[in-house]
Amino acid sequence: MKEMHRLSAVELRDAFLKGETTALAIANHYLKRIEAYGSSLGAFLKVLGPRVLLQAEALDKKRAQGKPLGKLAGVPVAIKDNMHIAGETTTCGSKFLENYKAPFDATAVRCLESEDALLIGKTNLDEFAMGSSNENSAYFPAHNPWNLKRVPGGSSGGSAAAVAARLALLATGSDTGGSIRQPASLCGVVGFKPTYGRVSRYGLVAFGSSLDQIGPFATTVADAALAMETMGRPCPHDSTCLDLPKEHYKLTRDLTDVKIGIPNRFLENLKPEVQKNFLDAVDILRALGARTVEVDLDVLKYSIAVYYILATAEASTNLARFDGVRYGVRSPSAKTLDQVYDLSRKDGFGREVKKRIMLGTYVLSAGFQDAYYKKAQKIRTLILEAFEKAYETCDAVVMPVATSGAFEAGAIHDPVEMYLQDIFTVPANLAGLPAISVPSGYDGEGMPLGIQIIGPQMCDVSVMSYAYAYEQATKWGRIPPAFLDGGAS
Amino acid sequence: MKDLPYELWEPVIGLEIHAQLNTRSKLFSPAPNHFGDEPNTNISFVCTGQPGALPVINKEAVRKAVQFGVAIGASISRFSTFDRKSYFYPDSPRNFQITQFENPLIRGGTVAADVEGQSKTFRVNRAHIEDDAGMLKHFTNFAGVDYNRAGAPLIEIVSEPCIHSPKEASSYAAAIRAILLYLDACDGNMEEGSLRMDANISVRPKGETALRPRVEIKNMNSFSFLEMAIEAEVSRQIALYITHPHRSPIELIPPGTYRWDAEAKQTVLMRAKESADDYRYFPEPDLAPLILSEEYIDSIRDALPELPHNRFKRYVSDLGLTEYAASVLINEKALSDYFEAANAIANNPRLLCNWITVEFTGRLKDKGQTLLSLGIPPEHVAKLVQMIDQGKITGRIAKDVADEMVAAPGTDPETIVKNNPDYQPLEDTGSIEPLVDQVLAENPQSVADFKAGRDKAFAFLVGQVMKLTRGKASPQVVNDLLKRKIR
Amino acid sequence: MMCKYFMAHFDKDTLLHLKKLCRIDLDAEEEEDILKSLKRVLEYVDQLDEVKAEKTRPCNHVMNGMARNRWREDVPEELLSRELFLGNAPDQIAGMVRVPPVLKPQ
Repeated sequence: MKEMHRLSAVELRDAFLKGETTALAIANHYLKRIEAYGSSLGAFLKVLGPRVLLQAEALDKKRAQGKPLGKLAGVPVAIKDNMHIAGETTTCGSKFLENYKAPFDATAVRCLESEDALLIGKTNLDEFAMGSSNENSAYFPAHNPWNLKRVPGGSSGGSAAAVAARLALLATGSDTGGSIRQPASLCGVVGFKPTYGRVSRYGLVAFGSSLDQIGPFATTVADAALAMETMGRPCPHDSTCLDLPKEHYKLTRDLTDVKIGIPNRFLENLKPEVQKNFLDAVDILRALGARTVEVDLDVLKYSIAVYYILATAEASTNLARFDGVRYGVRSPSAKTLDQVYDLSRKDGFGREVKKRIMLGTYVLSAGFQDAYYKKAQKIRTLILEAFEKAYETCDAVVMPVATSGAFEAGAIHDPVEMYLQDIFTVPANLAGLPAISVPSGYDGEGMPLGIQIIGPQMCDVSVMSYAYAYEQATKWGRIPPAFLDGGAS
Repeated sequence: MKDLPYELWEPVIGLEIHAQLNTRSKLFSPAPNHFGDEPNTNISFVCTGQPGALPVINKEAVRKAVQFGVAIGASISRFSTFDRKSYFYPDSPRNFQITQFENPLIRGGTVAADVEGQSKTFRVNRAHIEDDAGMLKHFTNFAGVDYNRAGAPLIEIVSEPCIHSPKEASSYAAAIRAILLYLDACDGNMEEGSLRMDANISVRPKGETALRPRVEIKNMNSFSFLEMAIEAEVSRQIALYITHPHRSPIELIPPGTYRWDAEAKQTVLMRAKESADDYRYFPEPDLAPLILSEEYIDSIRDALPELPHNRFKRYVSDLGLTEYAASVLINEKALSDYFEAANAIANNPRLLCNWITVEFTGRLKDKGQTLLSLGIPPEHVAKLVQMIDQGKITGRIAKDVADEMVAAPGTDPETIVKNNPDYQPLEDTGSIEPLVDQVLAENPQSVADFKAGRDKAFAFLVGQVMKLTRGKASPQVVNDLLKRKIR
Repeated sequence: MMCKYFMAHFDKDTLLHLKKLCRIDLDAEEEEDILKSLKRVLEYVDQLDEVKAEKTRPCNHVMNGMARNRWREDVPEELLSRELFLGNAPDQIAGMVRVPPVLKPQ
């Protein structure tokens, strides 16, 4: 058996099922890796040491008793720290929720555990999932395993880094404007955002309710598919979760007769490196049998403006509950009720969160709602319609994921420049479409790049399959050199 | 105050009534919907605003609301949606309420009510469902929050400003309450806050059609408070207009929200409209729109129980009750049901109604009880009335029997009568006859009057005999004896 | 050009008003920074004026398949104990969440 962290989740699970290793051995191996590499990466906010060891023991016992074992048996999975594991803290990367103990399990977490996954830790994120670089965590930033001076992307930077550095083989993220796909691209792993409503949001701390989706990070597409088979279930606790049965992800390598749409005009101003990488990826798709067609998605140039109005509007109300009254940190200097609100929120929220709450409040406020919020909702319809039209002539749309490889920590100061990191990812959230980021190579500085495949609503399986075909023909994904060893620093 | 020429002014009132639907679980939360338990024992993740919790609507709450809409002949929206209403307050678990601002479930509708003997029709503007806030309990050095009520399903019923007096307001509100009781959609318990009323009040010179600035009085939970508050506010506004005829209405009546101070018997300003909240309503992204089919709405319409106004009409036309008596009965469904159960046995609606609404009510008011709460079954009241009807006891004796029924609830009146010889009507002709002779001898004029055709004289003679027998003589026997002897 | 007009009027007073609506206190440095950032973002968002969308319906729910009632049976469940709930509370008393006294309407 290869070193555990060099295996995919499927391979490790099979090894476990065959008896080539024990759950306890797996847990210990990964805990050791986290101990060695964790702090340099800043990937984890909380390592669930004792909990995962108990889980591993129980799993080994289960196998010894010949009981049926789940599809993720023995696989170490990290959970983004804005999703609940009952009894553990959910901080959302914020000081506000430093001491908040989740009172229930997120449905997605329940699904993973029901398939015998080993939950190894809660990963770092931009505070309340607001950010594209994991620099907004109130605790410490996360770093890119390919270059520790660079960002892993965000908001699910911790999950992306953890999987890239093989501190876990699967991780969950949440994607509101690209928070799974962008860090996946920057860290050289697979990141998948399902159709809106495919995975239950119950137990995910809401940021942009009509945009949020939970999805997997994985080292291979097949692993991501396995995670989606597990998490993509109907849920009676989430009114926006689709009443669809679980899906089986059938993956093929052949793209014959698949039509790929390319929005050339929308992609006019790519950086030369990114453009070359993108075109090379498209060539591979053609070589696999796909035909490319031009599609008109010009309206997507308004995506960021639309997104930052709608997401912040929803967030301003979703985060109103954090007021220091029922849970979270209440400011010790609060003497009156007004101070409980004003000071707890002043102290508890980071700068970016405050900005977005205020922006969101502004676009909903009396006199401005028509010009901002309602207008953005209308343009959202136009974006939906543009995609619907595009899908009349193609099966999937292909775009880059990020505008470049990972940038240096602290390099971006202008808020709009930071927001524009999401220009290619936000459209899929606005239109509720399934989208994946698959490693597509490296830039001139050796930093990973990714290719994005976006499908029509509810075509999650197709998107995964097209990505699989590309991946199998290219196999860009690899372990960053610094993390090849077992646990030595 | 009373010297002001009120008759030249017309109060214009709109009522917003919040009624708690009596579902078993809350509107968007599966926690139990129940009043009076220990604080924070009927809660869930949704109704305490836990991060990661999501609303899922209660199907039964929708059904009850639709039932109400259908009962008032309103138009039920086939497509309705929910909105977030933002404001910060400790009793709000999320600091936004989920309500229906843009597309309410119910539009229009009418409510008939009896206002001091006259039947009036009031118009409803709209009604929608929303979730209730928790309860804030005030103490000297702190406040405590109990989320048991947070998330309870409310139906908010908004009338047109078509109410023009305090009595109209309370009659309308009582009629709404009665409808909700008859539908078993709300328990109507005003003390527990199951029904709360806000009034929007303005006045205008009679004949003017435009609306003048209005004032809002919030959260009244008693009909008498409602009437008093409206009366006081109407007087206040009229007085202002009359004493300052040259000032503009908006100056005299700045918009504001008041609450009714029951002890001081006056309205107290809560907040002026300048600091009005900007609720920033926008569509609730966590909830799917409610899409109701014609079949669904029709099935609810077909299954409607008898509504209070129809019962009222039946009592007046079929059972011969006065409008007043009928309205007293129907406004409390439990009382009306009690009456029906008793009438099924006694079959004397007018007498029965009198005993239920006057005789027994009078006896029970001081105890703060009702026939139901005391546990006197309708069969017993029915039997009492039957005994009077059949002449087995006199009205006077019946009153004593009623006293005993109240003192020992659950005791069968037939047993009470059987056990007390004083209640047995004196049927012994032998002992009554001399008294009859005595009365006839002492009242020759009445005898002559009766022979001349005056029936009233006969009743007088009967009364005299009854007086002598201290009400114990069997009226039947006295009647027979008198008739025989006068011939 | 509605957005430009509004943006030009996004100033300190607007920020102070927003502070009240959002219930977030800010110190001077934060105010400066946030004001600058929001003006910048609103300037960017201005471009939405270019889009003609008067006749377009707003997208309130992105999934058409959602146009179906998602409701539940009226069955009460006791999922959150008082103990678990108050376990996260910053301050509690007698089974209630405790907050500083709330000024009753005067």
